[in-house]
Amino acid sequence: MKVKLKSFTPVAYWHWDTRDPDDVCGICQNQFDGVCGTCKEPGDGCPLLFGKCTHEFHLHCIMQWLEQHSRKPLCPLCKRPWEEATAEKYQEETAAQQ
Amino acid sequence: MRIASKRLTKELVELRNQGPPEGTAILLADDLKEWRFSISVLGESLYKGQTFGLRFRFPDNYPMESPEVIFMTTDGFKPPVHPHVYSSNGHICLSILGNEWSPVLNVSSILLSIQSMLASCKELKHPPDDERYGRHAPMSPKDSRFVYDDDSV
Repeated sequence: MKVKLKSFTPVAYWHWDTRDPDDVCGICQNQFDGVCGTCKEPGDGCPLLFGKCTHEFHLHCIMQWLEQHSRKPLCPLCKRPWEEATAEKYQEETAAQQ
Repeated sequence: MRIASKRLTKELVELRNQGPPEGTAILLADDLKEWRFSISVLGESLYKGQTFGLRFRFPDNYPMESPEVIFMTTDGFKPPVHPHVYSSNGHICLSILGNEWSPVLNVSSILLSIQSMLASCKELKHPPDDERYGRHAPMSPKDSRFVYDDDSV
């Protein structure tokens, strides 16, 4: 039997790889998959920044906070010195999956 | 200003829908500049039966910066007698309103912190420098350089 496909409608779905996808950014209190207080378009235009302390925020939210406290940047949630989790973690994870 | 108004709008909707913490009530929240709450302490405490007024004023860059929070001295309210509350102006020496502020805190968590500050108080007394501070204090407590030296209450 041969089937001729006339048309199809693909549906894609994305979400940020956070610990809890339903969680909100502690600073703006909007969904991680939503936007920070200043952006209109979610996604690549309003990405997340992950800390080594395992806490994540919208990039624009945490940057505003860190810029104000550039001498001693702390995670707003755990008050540990803020260190960005590098892409290594994610490279490791994707390498493990292959 | 956009992030401040968006977050305050969100907080206000939640405060109105779910209610503020038990023992507190909204007295005024007509705009996103200044809110007023009544606050009392639940259960047994030195402040049983007393109700106080709190005034919040929000800076343009809230929540990156803490709100200004004082106990009201107007509208029939008097500040509580407490070692961290100045009697003449209602200024509060509380680290989360100063150098321990974090943008993940909000109005609700401040109300809870102040309730707990009152609940844990063991002795009704004014701060040691109450009189001197009252004479020289700036208009806003945010312009005071408090030393947070007593974590017991």
